[in-house]
Amino acid sequence: MPRSLPYGLHASRKYWSAPLLVVYVIVATSSTANAALTQQTRKDTQQDTQASAGSSGNLPSYSPEQIQAGQALFAGQCSFCHGRDAGGGEGGPDLTASPLVAEDVRGEKIGPVMRNGRPDKGMPAFAPTDEQLAALVAFIHDRKAKAKEGRRRTVDVSDLQTGNPQAGIQYFNGAGGCAKCHSPTGDLAGIAGKFQGLELLRRMLYQEDWRATKSGGATPETTVTLHSGQTVTGRLAYRDEFTIAVIDASGWYHSWPRSQVKSTVTDPLEAHVELLGKYTDKDIHDVLAYLQTLH
Amino acid sequence: MKPTWAVCALGGMLAALASAFCGLACAQGLDPATLLKPTPDSWPLYHGDYSGQRHSHLTQITPANVGALTLAWAFQTGQAAQIKSSPIVVNGILYVSIPDHVWAVDARTGSQIWHYTYPPNEGLHIGHRGVALYKDSVYFTTPDDHLVSLDSKDGTVRWNVVLDDVKKGYWTSVAPLIVRNHVLVGLSGDFDNIPGMLKSIDADTGETQWTFYSTPPPGTEGSTSGGATGGNMWITGTYDPELNLVFVGTGNPTPVLAAQTRPGDNPWTCSIVALNPDTGKLTWGFQATPHDTHDWDAVEVPVLVDGSFNGSSKKMLLQASRNGYFFVLDRTSGKSLLSSPFAAVNWSNGVDKNGRPIHNPEKDPARDGRLVAPDEGGATNYRSPSFDAKTGLLIVSSRDAYGIYFSKPEHGTVGWAGADYGVFGKAVLRAIDYQTGKIRWSHDLGGEGAAAGVLTTDSGVTFTGDSARSVLALKTSDGATLWHSAIGFVGNSPITYELDGREYVIVASGSSLFAFALPEMQKKIDRRQ
Repeated sequence: MPRSLPYGLHASRKYWSAPLLVVYVIVATSSTANAALTQQTRKDTQQDTQASAGSSGNLPSYSPEQIQAGQALFAGQCSFCHGRDAGGGEGGPDLTASPLVAEDVRGEKIGPVMRNGRPDKGMPAFAPTDEQLAALVAFIHDRKAKAKEGRRRTVDVSDLQTGNPQAGIQYFNGAGGCAKCHSPTGDLAGIAGKFQGLELLRRMLYQEDWRATKSGGATPETTVTLHSGQTVTGRLAYRDEFTIAVIDASGWYHSWPRSQVKSTVTDPLEAHVELLGKYTDKDIHDVLAYLQTLH
Repeated sequence: MKPTWAVCALGGMLAALASAFCGLACAQGLDPATLLKPTPDSWPLYHGDYSGQRHSHLTQITPANVGALTLAWAFQTGQAAQIKSSPIVVNGILYVSIPDHVWAVDARTGSQIWHYTYPPNEGLHIGHRGVALYKDSVYFTTPDDHLVSLDSKDGTVRWNVVLDDVKKGYWTSVAPLIVRNHVLVGLSGDFDNIPGMLKSIDADTGETQWTFYSTPPPGTEGSTSGGATGGNMWITGTYDPELNLVFVGTGNPTPVLAAQTRPGDNPWTCSIVALNPDTGKLTWGFQATPHDTHDWDAVEVPVLVDGSFNGSSKKMLLQASRNGYFFVLDRTSGKSLLSSPFAAVNWSNGVDKNGRPIHNPEKDPARDGRLVAPDEGGATNYRSPSFDAKTGLLIVSSRDAYGIYFSKPEHGTVGWAGADYGVFGKAVLRAIDYQTGKIRWSHDLGGEGAAAGVLTTDSGVTFTGDSARSVLALKTSDGATLWHSAIGFVGNSPITYELDGREYVIVASGSSLFAFALPEMQKKIDRRQ
């Protein structure tokens, strides 16, 4: 159904349009926050697979009245993305498996996320009263305590072991063209120790959190040539049809109307986008199997 | 006693006077007959008219002068929720909604006339598409599945009826479609295995006239849905008065990603259905996605076009569907005239002889994941496309998007029953030649997510929003940018109307409405030319 994402996901879902995105964009600018706040969420990067069990058990208990009040609030405002049982809905993560919820005590972690939203991931900000927030936190912890194994949106590491690592090496070095940019002894050394399962798979397909990395990572390098002939090189900070902005080597933000400058953007992720249209599902699982050997 | 002549004469005068005053007072209502031919000073239906073309005959704003467009007014709701609804404008009053809230504002100035707030409730507050008008009532759907009739004069409640039980998992967000005295309301909800439906409510009394089930309630004898539930009808349909048929899209089947319990095509989920508005009886159905396993509702606007197709005159229905296919149907019969992808699609084995995409089981959600285009958000979604008859273009906000879909027996067979994650998307406005399905032009929207709906006008201007933060005016013939304003991401489908000789274009961003118009001075210059 819809989802308009909170965003336009219906309910659309759908998606929010984030400001950022596509190939070249960067998020970090606060100017994009408004758009993101209003959109639907879809891109959660929290990994269901990283759930840590239990932990709510040590916390003070919540009253049934508070939990019930939280349930009603949750159903109305949160359940489209996170599910009525907080176990994951359309686009939003399973909160009962969330590391942040696991670490939360009485809303100290959950509260700021709720009140600020997660614009970079499409979650809008909400403005609960203290009482409402406490009820929502009570409900989420109650669901976490009661969540069963085998939650509906989980993807386990063991689910993703269908590939052939030898075929994956061949694809990596051959048809996939991965070796043009990546090396098992360079950037991918030890990758299997850093990421597992679904998180590794999603990073392999299209690493969407590169924008958050201040250095390294697949940040588009941008060169802007001004009318005077002067050039400015830096990380792409923002780009739409009308404006381009970079963050220079000293960390300062600069922007220009695109009609008045020339710019070139080199996006290392373009090759990943092209591959999405070429991969077979077997290719994907083979390459994943290969990456899992890189300890 | 016999009335005297004088009394009669006085009575006649009084009656005439009364009727003159009533003429003024009653003019604030909406005669449903005028919906057949909306006036330029109004936008009386969700789509502007019954055709779903979201096209206006206004011509004051042109490609030559649109660069001078300026802000006429803004209206701030003061609420956190994003405005996703398409406003209605009748008799100089604009009605706009978000979940639990309706406002009437002065369409000339943006000042508030009244504000109605529905009581707190636990229905899903994901979005609201808009209200409907009939006579002097406003019809408003609520998150907890009520239909409320408000006095359009002051926002007071006339009646409030329950459409279904929120506890079952339904919610409502749809803008009702008015056909004569029928208020057609579809429900929402696919987190539970519940049947999809469209209800016809008596506009005057609130009584249910009929209910159409896209999938019958479980246990119904002779059901052809193959065990599927779902197929909710959450976007406003269109209406052909000559055929006396309403056309409405239906949503995805449930369970959503796991299909082992619902073999077969699962009609009428992910379909376009043609219904008699007086009886709710199905005249025909066309399935955009037989046996859907990816949440691709076919609720996108069924756009009605009369024109030439392959040299012969046809009554057609166009839909750019969430599954990535553009369909042209003969709307008298539901027979396919054209089926052609308009965005990245990797999930089908082509199209069958009836124009339906062929389900490829290899792309069904699986334990180890399947990379599928489009993703769950779809190649397009609920915001409206626009049809421009002069160019023969259906202009639609589209996405080339990939998602990865998982499902395993442990996920069960209720509701979502699986997991999916967006991988990548790119938003592009595309102009589809309806006779060939070919893309005549594309305009990069600069983002990955869904963008705004689309409005075209007779002067050859297309209004929409990009995926970043601008409202755009483009040249309809080639998609070139004519004007933009960085008001933030446009969250709804634009509308237009003309009052006191001034054409207004209305878009929403965040929780505000923005009205753009030419400066008064510019209008004078244009008039002199």
